[in-house]
Amino acid sequence: MAMCAALRCVSANFSAALPLLTRPAHIWTCQNSLRPNVLRTLYTSSRLSGALKFTDKHEWVRVEGNVGTVGISNFAQEALGDVVYCGLPEVGTKLEQMEEFGALESVKAASELYSPLTGEVTEINTNLTDNPGLVNKACYEDGWLIKMTIEKPAELDELMDEAAYEKFIKSLDS
Amino acid sequence: MILRLLNRACVLSGSVRLKSTLSTFFDEMGKSGIILKSATTGIFENLALEDWIHDHVDLQNRSMLLSWRNSPAVVIGRHQNPWQECNLPLMRRLGIPLARRRSGGGTVFHDFGNINMTFFISKKKYDRHRNLKVITSALKALRPDLEVAATDRFDILLNGHYKISGTAAKLGRTSAYHHCTLLCSVDRSVLSSVLKSNTSEVIKSNATPSVPSPVRNLLDVDPTLDSDTIMNAVASQYSNEFGFDGPVITVDPSHEALMPGIHKMAQDLQMWEWIYGRTPKFSVCSSLVVDDVTVKLDMDIKNGAVEQCAMEIPEDWLPSEMVNEFTSALNGSKYCPNEAAVLVAAFTRTVSVTADVAEKIHRLCAGVVSVM
Repeated sequence: MAMCAALRCVSANFSAALPLLTRPAHIWTCQNSLRPNVLRTLYTSSRLSGALKFTDKHEWVRVEGNVGTVGISNFAQEALGDVVYCGLPEVGTKLEQMEEFGALESVKAASELYSPLTGEVTEINTNLTDNPGLVNKACYEDGWLIKMTIEKPAELDELMDEAAYEKFIKSLDS
Repeated sequence: MILRLLNRACVLSGSVRLKSTLSTFFDEMGKSGIILKSATTGIFENLALEDWIHDHVDLQNRSMLLSWRNSPAVVIGRHQNPWQECNLPLMRRLGIPLARRRSGGGTVFHDFGNINMTFFISKKKYDRHRNLKVITSALKALRPDLEVAATDRFDILLNGHYKISGTAAKLGRTSAYHHCTLLCSVDRSVLSSVLKSNTSEVIKSNATPSVPSPVRNLLDVDPTLDSDTIMNAVASQYSNEFGFDGPVITVDPSHEALMPGIHKMAQDLQMWEWIYGRTPKFSVCSSLVVDDVTVKLDMDIKNGAVEQCAMEIPEDWLPSEMVNEFTSALNGSKYCPNEAAVLVAAFTRTVSVTADVAEKIHRLCAGVVSVM
């Protein structure tokens, strides 16, 4: 994500500053040789440790001890556009796997959120109240949505690991 | 299921083969596109119909258009605050119900002069501009001189200035719906008075706000453009755009056998917990004048209930123990005028007060209720 953003920033600055000159060759070469899926791999290997598991609805869960932190993937936040409101459940809500637990509102579409696991909500990310854009800016870190207990650890085995998820989203593109 | 073909329309009547639902009926039809019209004008039944179709009909290889109209109602978006968006006391007096839909977006007023159109499709093929183009093309086919165009915000403007349509959408697991309004002959004076909140200045909230716009009816620019003409034109254009042919099917959402579970969906949409209780946390900070005395009111409302209530009242007007009793009575209660009135009446019966104090509490309650 950081590298993506950096490349975009650099090219944007250049195009603003040098409107009449051709863009420096090395910038173009960089953009052309790094295809989107390669950028994604670079991003995912550089972010935090803590194995992420993914659902086919583009939610992720990171397990630390008995608690799972849940959020949406980069693919999902890009598809969503700018998030303007996060509708999250109350602490203590019991969720079944695949149960709808809330919705993210962006550019007037409310997108439902589905629980990756069965468990109970222990914490919700209150930073999202005043700063819903964190879901776009840092979907794997500060833009987490809820934390929950893991009642059925076996459900984790059904989820995709990173490599499988990368393959999955590539198959969607085609 | 008995189908009666009436001109280009067909009506699904109540008698149903066992195990046959609307969903299986569509599968059996085998068409890639279907146009529906709702037979009911109840807002909750129609919102339930949308949700039922979204949840039960296979939309992976099929697209559907549903048109529907309602008797007067105000509909707020999923994450909105009704106290901020509309005049609830006025709506109660006029008997206009409030509904909260499951899609995002802003607040709208519906009556028979407004056509709602819902475009159902798979998430992959979800394209709001394509849908709005169906509407603008249909209108232009009817009246080539009509200046209508969709904006980046997915509004449709008439003459580049007046809003005649607003959009909202919901994305589910594998399918999506995009619905929009279309102002044909709405009562604009009712619209503007109910969509103007009487308490927005005292509310502090992060709920999604509406973007107010000047509106116009299509009938104002062309008296021959009535709802039926428009709905037929849109249906035709939709068939052209999505490449299929077929009759407009009228569906009655009250047929539980045809749509199992729809009745409960309509009930759920009418629950206080959904309509008001889903309001994002907000605070009310108001200065009321009761008996020439200024009362400062501070309340935090969570899930539509009073989480915290504080009042600043001159001690010589009402003793602080009374004030504390009053605020305690409200704590934890629904932020609702009836509930507040009942609670305060109950508490005045349990504490021994002079008639004078009882009167003051009564008037104080009326003041507090005025912001609900």
